[in-house]
Amino acid sequence: MGKKLIIILIAISSIVVADIVCNNYGFFSQTFGQTQTLSQDEPIDETGIVIKGLETFYKYTGFRNLSIGNIVMILVGLFFIYLAIRYDYEPLLLVPIGTGILLGNIPFLQNANLQVGIYEQGSVLNYLYFGVVKGVYPPLIFLGIGAMTDFSSLISNPKLILLGAAAQLGIFATFLGALLLGFNPPEAGAIGIIGGADGPTAIFLSSKLANGVNILADGTTVKNLIGPIAIAAYSYMALVPVIQPPIMRLLTTKKERLIRMKPPRAVSKREKIFFPILGLLLTTFISPSALPLLGMLFFGNLLKESGVTKRLADTARTSLIDIVTILLGLTVGASTQADVFLRTESVMIFVLGALSFMIATAGGVLFAKFMNVFLNDDNKINPLIGAAGVSAVPDSARVAQTMGLKDDPTNHLLMHAMAPNVAGVIGSAVAAGILLSFLI
Amino acid sequence: MINAIILKGTGIITEMDVLIAVMGYIIVFLALLLLYFVFSSIPRILSWRKNYLMKKQGKECKDECNGIPGDVLAAISIALYLHANEYHDEESHSITIKKVSRNYSPWSSKIYGLSEISSIKSN
Repeated sequence: MGKKLIIILIAISSIVVADIVCNNYGFFSQTFGQTQTLSQDEPIDETGIVIKGLETFYKYTGFRNLSIGNIVMILVGLFFIYLAIRYDYEPLLLVPIGTGILLGNIPFLQNANLQVGIYEQGSVLNYLYFGVVKGVYPPLIFLGIGAMTDFSSLISNPKLILLGAAAQLGIFATFLGALLLGFNPPEAGAIGIIGGADGPTAIFLSSKLANGVNILADGTTVKNLIGPIAIAAYSYMALVPVIQPPIMRLLTTKKERLIRMKPPRAVSKREKIFFPILGLLLTTFISPSALPLLGMLFFGNLLKESGVTKRLADTARTSLIDIVTILLGLTVGASTQADVFLRTESVMIFVLGALSFMIATAGGVLFAKFMNVFLNDDNKINPLIGAAGVSAVPDSARVAQTMGLKDDPTNHLLMHAMAPNVAGVIGSAVAAGILLSFLI
Repeated sequence: MINAIILKGTGIITEMDVLIAVMGYIIVFLALLLLYFVFSSIPRILSWRKNYLMKKQGKECKDECNGIPGDVLAAISIALYLHANEYHDEESHSITIKKVSRNYSPWSSKIYGLSEISSIKSN
């Protein structure tokens, strides 16, 4: 039984390998063309009809249209699913994205009006992808995030908001880095936002700046970088526990990591209600371009804190965000069709994305150290929580907590780290709005 | 004006690009700095309002005007939680053995079951 299975697998893989080689070198199309010519000249018998039918069927199968790029991307998709299931790395994102990558890279006959591909007008995936291209999903995700986020730690210690601003350094440094690598300013802006460590914001901005539709002043069309940017953002968000700790250790001394912070004060209900209203008005007046993101974030939080819209808040933070996450993850994954995704630009985006996360982490940690210069001993900030200024809620806050516990098992930093963490969400949305207004 | 400056990527950073990056970062900082100032002053405004109302009523404002300390709130919360969940304190203290009559059915027959079913239920 086992031997049979191995033989069958070897047979299938040899067909696939042979077919790829034929496809790549154009052998297969030549042979196929000859068969068609012969069949026109000679009378077609029953066996011929069957063979021709099988040939047509084979022409439509994935095996016939497979390319090395598809295999690479399918392996990437499987790797994402593996990471999610085996290591529990952002499973709610990586499972839909990984499955989406599989869906987007199942090969099929192009230009046959099958209407199955995500980039084919009229296909179901194309309709679902509309929410990504037009930036519909990210604000809905922000609504859910607002409805599930408790801003108490931030309200109780407002100076930690500044750490969320400092960590946005990654966005602007990467913007310059992307320009150096030859990207157009709008594309560079979309790539830079990866440093905000916020998936929905990255998708929102790339759908506006690097959507493959906008035409620049010199007549060139911007590249469609939504897929690579989203995949890079979510991949690095999942890898926050791997990327951040070495930088945090490098930039802090043991004495600094042992700093104990004062427990946050209790926040009144009135303050919690004021926060979304004032936050909405202040931030959107400064950066109206970020209105869809910030508006929905604070609206969701108002639903939660008002205490009179429990049903709406419950829907926003459970069913709604789950539905949108499924659609967003799946379609972003499916948008990584090999011919669109496997390009030099994608590799550059991944390199820039990693740098972006590192710079953002360093920015937050260093600014916390800078703030400590002006603070008295009782109010010192543990610089580890500066790293939580990159959004990636709540992973980067968890990283700060874990790092703090390593040096002092009784020093719990999670509550404090949540403040720069949620401030980072606001900061990256403001940064996205600013880039949008400068570059669109 | 800015659109006119944006041209196809050349791999060169212009002064305008640096300006966008620096200005962008400063604006993010200013936006969050504004939030910091507003939310630092809100507790003061709220306590000032409370002070004012208390004085208007002719009462003297004590510590509670500035909010109950977090430690006290935590202690009250724990006390309330324990009170709400301590069902043992509300028991009747009477333990009775109640005979439950069960009609014979092959479905519940202990002959066919793997474990014995007790016909006495303690309450």
